[in-house]
Amino acid sequence: MFTSTRALKISLVAVNVIAALAVIAIAVKLLLVPAIAKYWYRERYKDLVFQCDEVMRAHFIAKSQVSVAPSEEAIKNLRAAEVSLLACHDYDKLWKKLLTLGLSEADLASLGLEAIEEKSKDVTEFVKTHEIRY
Amino acid sequence: MKYAIRIGLCLAVAVLVISTVSAEEDAFVAILKSQLEANGFQPAAALYRKPDEKLAPIGRVIFRSKGLSLNGEISCKTCHLKDFGSDDGIPLGAAIGGKGEGPARLMSGARLLPRNTLPLWGRGGKGFDTFFWDGRVDFSDNKKFSQFGAHPPSDDALVTAAHLPVVQIREMLDEDAFVEKHKHESVADAQEVYSAIAANLARVEVSASHELAAVLGKPVDRLEYTDYARSIAAFIRSEFRIQPTKLERFVAGNENLTEDELRGGILFFGKGHCATCHSGPYFSDFKFHVVVFPQLGFGATGFGVDYGRFNATFDARDLYKFRTPPLYNVEGTAPYGHSGSAATIEEAIVAHFDPLRLVKVTDMDNFDRYEFYKRLTLSSEVATTTTYLSDAEVKQVVQFLKTLSF
Repeated sequence: MFTSTRALKISLVAVNVIAALAVIAIAVKLLLVPAIAKYWYRERYKDLVFQCDEVMRAHFIAKSQVSVAPSEEAIKNLRAAEVSLLACHDYDKLWKKLLTLGLSEADLASLGLEAIEEKSKDVTEFVKTHEIRY
Repeated sequence: MKYAIRIGLCLAVAVLVISTVSAEEDAFVAILKSQLEANGFQPAAALYRKPDEKLAPIGRVIFRSKGLSLNGEISCKTCHLKDFGSDDGIPLGAAIGGKGEGPARLMSGARLLPRNTLPLWGRGGKGFDTFFWDGRVDFSDNKKFSQFGAHPPSDDALVTAAHLPVVQIREMLDEDAFVEKHKHESVADAQEVYSAIAANLARVEVSASHELAAVLGKPVDRLEYTDYARSIAAFIRSEFRIQPTKLERFVAGNENLTEDELRGGILFFGKGHCATCHSGPYFSDFKFHVVVFPQLGFGATGFGVDYGRFNATFDARDLYKFRTPPLYNVEGTAPYGHSGSAATIEEAIVAHFDPLRLVKVTDMDNFDRYEFYKRLTLSSEVATTTTYLSDAEVKQVVQFLKTLSF
């Protein structure tokens, strides 16, 4: 009788510990890891968004140049632009890594937007500087 | 006797000097008038394209209506303010999410647009058929260029242009579930959004909608967004039409220009080569050129980059090009340039021939400096056309430009 009560207690404690650990693990996975990953990789991700966007834009321009004004130089330029798209590989890798670490696509989109609009601050600075003139 | 001779001589010299100056001034007047004529100057009355007058008062209501924005609490008038020369007085449009107008709206946390709000003077007048910084609506020379492809909503460029801001996300539209669902570049999706805006206007502007329906002879529930756009266009044509200016009175011989205005005009058509692009009835060739204004804000392309006309044509030859801005009422429409980075007209003029004066390259980050350099290399057409002007000459050109105010 005594043994079975003790065993029950131990089992209950064990279940509680396991449950607590599970809750902690879930909290770590769903909240802590994504938050740390976002903090840790934020600047790197924004930088890669910029780099990938830059080469994609260059590629788009090179492609349109070939169709609008084809020339040997334009074709060479397009080939170089195609190779430069490799810069997006690092962006893709980090994008997948961040998804695995629990960031949502919305989180990543907002980081991307942050990168694109990085220079919004200089507008308010400009207005503050010149406010007297308006 | 000696005194009499001296006084006589002095008088003779004075008369000679005055007559020489006067002859020079007469020559300047004649040259300026002939240059104005040769460059297509027309009196205001000749530019007025009479709007459908019954629609204009309705358009006034719609222009001010926040019903134009499905979910953003913003109207045309929010950014096109008469106090700031029919724009908003800030470098970049402060659109949805803000409070107040002009600088106050910007500081209140409104979402910024990538470009400087354009004034509305002369829009839709005779020969004014190219709209927006990148000319994404261009009906000049019998073209029908717009994002609507072969079937623009109207043959009237201004009516077609009035279709764009209302469906521009973050300009007059916020991203909600409905917008997300229809955020595709298809005519059917666009039509759904326009129908929703028309229904919203019919609900918010009941009286104006009934008037519009009566004028157009159709029931209110059959009103389309294009009907509202027609009324907005009629209002803009009437309210922001070009009016007689000091320059027009000068051409007609009814008013003289000051010496600075006159010399500024001679510089404008002569040494400054301004009229190479700023020609025609609106002082714009309505073509696209690279002028290296400093880039402010995140730019239409993002990351502080704005490819300008290229974004509309995808032709690499159009990179960084923007439409030559018309110059009527230019003195009241600061700041200048596609991203509003020139605070004064003087700075805007300097950007044409000495853009490096407006930036501190050592303060720019590496990428911005690289972008600036790229634009510099592509600006050779403008750079080789314009000539260096001294600060005093720039001021004279500004004085001349002020004669275009009304």
